[in-house]
Amino acid sequence: MTERHNGSSLARYYWERARKNRLAVAGLVFIIFLILMGLIGPFFTANPTAVNFEEKNRPPVGFAIEESVYDFETQQLVTKTIIGTAKHPLGTDNKGRDLLAMIVSGTRVSLMVGLFATGIAVALGTLIGVTSAYFGGLVDHVVMRFTDIMMTFPFFLIFVLIIFIFGPSLLIIVVVIGLTGWTGTARLIRSETLSLRTREFIMAAKALGASDKRIILTHLVPNVVSLIIVIATLSIPGVILAEAALSFIGLGDPLVTSWGMVLRAGQQNLGTAWWVAIAPGIMLFFTVLAFNFMGDGLRDAFDPRSAV
Amino acid sequence: MRKNWLRDYIIKRLFYVVIIAFGVLLVTFTLVRIGPSIGATHPADKYLASMAAQGQDVSQAIAAIEARYGLDKPLYEQFINYAGNLARGDWGWSLSTSMPVIELIKTHWIYSAQLIILSSIFAAGAGILIGILSAVRQYSKTDYIATFFSFVGISIPNFWLGVMLILLFSVQLGVFRTYYDTGIPVFSLANLRQLILPVITLGTGMTAGYTRYTRSAMLDNLRKDFVRTARAKGLPERTVIGKHVFRNAVLPLVTIIMFDLGAIVFGGAYLTEIIFGIPGLGQISFNAIFADDYAVVVTVVLISAFLVLLINLVTDVTYTYLDPRIKYD
Amino acid sequence: MDETILKVNDLETHFLTARGIVKAVDGIDFELRKSECLCLVGESGCGKTVAMLSILGLIDTPPGKIVGGQVYYEDVNLVECSGKQMRHIRGKEIAMVFQDAQSALDPVFTIGDQITEQIKLHLGVSNPEAKERAISLLQEVGIPSPETATANYPHQLSGGMKQRAMIAMGLSCDPRVLIADEPTTAVDVTIKAQILDILQRLKETRQMSLLFVTHELGIVSEIGDRMLVMYAGRLTETGQVSEILDHPRHPYTIGLINCLPDMTKTRDRLESIPGTVPSLIDPPDGCLFYPRCSRALAVCSQNRPLPVTVNQGHTVFCHLYSQ
Repeated sequence: MTERHNGSSLARYYWERARKNRLAVAGLVFIIFLILMGLIGPFFTANPTAVNFEEKNRPPVGFAIEESVYDFETQQLVTKTIIGTAKHPLGTDNKGRDLLAMIVSGTRVSLMVGLFATGIAVALGTLIGVTSAYFGGLVDHVVMRFTDIMMTFPFFLIFVLIIFIFGPSLLIIVVVIGLTGWTGTARLIRSETLSLRTREFIMAAKALGASDKRIILTHLVPNVVSLIIVIATLSIPGVILAEAALSFIGLGDPLVTSWGMVLRAGQQNLGTAWWVAIAPGIMLFFTVLAFNFMGDGLRDAFDPRSAV
Repeated sequence: MRKNWLRDYIIKRLFYVVIIAFGVLLVTFTLVRIGPSIGATHPADKYLASMAAQGQDVSQAIAAIEARYGLDKPLYEQFINYAGNLARGDWGWSLSTSMPVIELIKTHWIYSAQLIILSSIFAAGAGILIGILSAVRQYSKTDYIATFFSFVGISIPNFWLGVMLILLFSVQLGVFRTYYDTGIPVFSLANLRQLILPVITLGTGMTAGYTRYTRSAMLDNLRKDFVRTARAKGLPERTVIGKHVFRNAVLPLVTIIMFDLGAIVFGGAYLTEIIFGIPGLGQISFNAIFADDYAVVVTVVLISAFLVLLINLVTDVTYTYLDPRIKYD
Repeated sequence: MDETILKVNDLETHFLTARGIVKAVDGIDFELRKSECLCLVGESGCGKTVAMLSILGLIDTPPGKIVGGQVYYEDVNLVECSGKQMRHIRGKEIAMVFQDAQSALDPVFTIGDQITEQIKLHLGVSNPEAKERAISLLQEVGIPSPETATANYPHQLSGGMKQRAMIAMGLSCDPRVLIADEPTTAVDVTIKAQILDILQRLKETRQMSLLFVTHELGIVSEIGDRMLVMYAGRLTETGQVSEILDHPRHPYTIGLINCLPDMTKTRDRLESIPGTVPSLIDPPDGCLFYPRCSRALAVCSQNRPLPVTVNQGHTVFCHLYSQ
């Protein structure tokens, strides 16, 4: 039989277990840092879209590069050494846009995409999964076949297709990622619900006279909620990467500065301004890592069978 | 006896494949046909737009175009024509390259295939080996390093990795060229050489995943009782691990590997082709999108979907065949 | 009958855990003679299985380790043998049959495969010959239609069949010693009797020594020649089965025998030994049975009891008899 905890003591119990996983905590810290950066960063940085050809291709602080510039007075190419200044701590791209500002702006974009797209996908997936498992029979069968069909499509190609049909706006991107990303969640939630339905503690609760509604609310939902949280946390990196990939190949929202877009600019100027390509990748890497660590930590914390 | 049942199972699965294939066709077709009517670019929009700008009457032109593309017929009829054409080998006409789509596919599929196959072999081989080693030497230095690398490998955005590799090896060190040369024959060492960076790009994430899954599957089985029995029989350790433990661990692994192959690899391959300029199906469909060439895009999507279906089928059958305990009903 | 096949001296096996060192086997000695059935009796957790695994060097070495003693098989100390040497002993000279046949057999290989694998390894015979041997072994242990059985997977056999197949596997290379770790525990009562029959018969026809681990005294009386009683990693009493069961000396042995429900008497309650088995981490001085012993003396809590011979071949580890 499962122990009865009330809501807050249960949350505290899980928190204690999660805390012991240092990597997960590090991930959480980084994510909080990202959120802060996204929220207040734009107030402290320059305008990411401000183009300034005078200051193009500046390296980051502490780096120096050689540039060949045509000197009109002497009528020949002169090599000048340009050193990075604190005005553009991470340097600028080939249009003079401040890299730090672009990264900060990208943080916002990624977090928002991560939040909303995952939200849509997980919500949809949970709804479909629970409904399918609850009704069972023909409904379940049909829904699962439909899920199979959806899962068969190579997602990326579908993104590309739809964005091309409907135009590259952030809203479309978020909606498309959400509408195509529910299948994994649906499957997991459905199988969990199915197995929960027949588990002995449910039968015991029924034998003790609990009503359906009570069973669903106090037994099924809490068990599924923890799964939902883990799924959501582990889905966010994929979503963020998907948006970044789309921006990278040029199908992102042109009005928005996202990490993928910066990386694209960096790739096109690999020879002259290599720093532009490195920064967004590092951010993406650590963000994905942070969410993966946190998700793993949460999963271990929620699994009653693993000793922490 | 088991063979009969296996055969029946395959037939049943093929039946499902047909149903799902039909569903895939339907969804793709719907998407494509809906597109032009919601303000996306119609095959001849630009032309029509310029005509309209010149004050010409476009309604006749529109009617002609619609008749030409069969757009004036009811939707279900269009679908039947469409499906029928596909079955007959008429996969449409590529407007941007002026050749039948099927010709385009024929010349370019080999580039995608070589990339995907090489990367998969590399990833599966490296991943499984490292995973086994990691599991057998759990908690040792080897294990920690391998686990660290697999975490890193999974988290690195593969398109960024590609760019970084180009930056390092092509731009800075000049070891490899920055573009893919199609002049080099496919089955040659030189071709293999220029595929090194793309394969690393596509394969790293895959390897990391396989390492993790293999390690966990091996660990699960290493502590099972039959391992102790195998040792008690006097079997050398390499037989215990390589034959007994591995054979049991392979079951869930097969599913995961094949599923990865189907679903995720295609997206990664797409990006890798674009980054390195490899003219595979991903690259040409990408170009087709910007050239308003629907036929190509749709065909590539369908091909990918069917490949995934096929791979899933093979996976299911393989899994069923490998595990003597399974009897699906 | 008197030839000693296996001699265990002062065997100590410890496990290093997060909570301390568990002394699973804390100094036991015994001899196994040719063609005899020696029963190792004790509750779950008393160290009997660990002792058997130690003989074959099958203890997982982190966290376990044989820290002391010798195991002599034919004048060779197995404790000091290399892995390679041990592999010649395991399955060939000394074989082991485990308790739960379902989990002890590899689910993805056929019974035939698992038996012939061992035969080919140790006896170096060809495939067809190995298969023939496997079939005759399965017949010997009483499995009907052995040819079909070799093509079956473990999950296709019943519990009793699986256990017999395991025994067949153990016998496949004509070992001189067969260690059976509670082979009848996971099996129905009717099958139990059949398996005991088979083991008894095999012991006689093959002149094989049987080391039988069990917690059931009933089985011991049926099949055992001599017996050892273990408690908390140590020996309490050793000797002929008939002698010990008729004249038990150690309070623990007496308690065990009293626990057996007697069909001839009418009773209100079943007897049990009060208390629980002590922790094997950092055991206290003296006799480990002391806290549960109704006849304990002062010295029992201070000194570990030494072996005392009370009758021919009958040894007790108890201060009550060391006069």
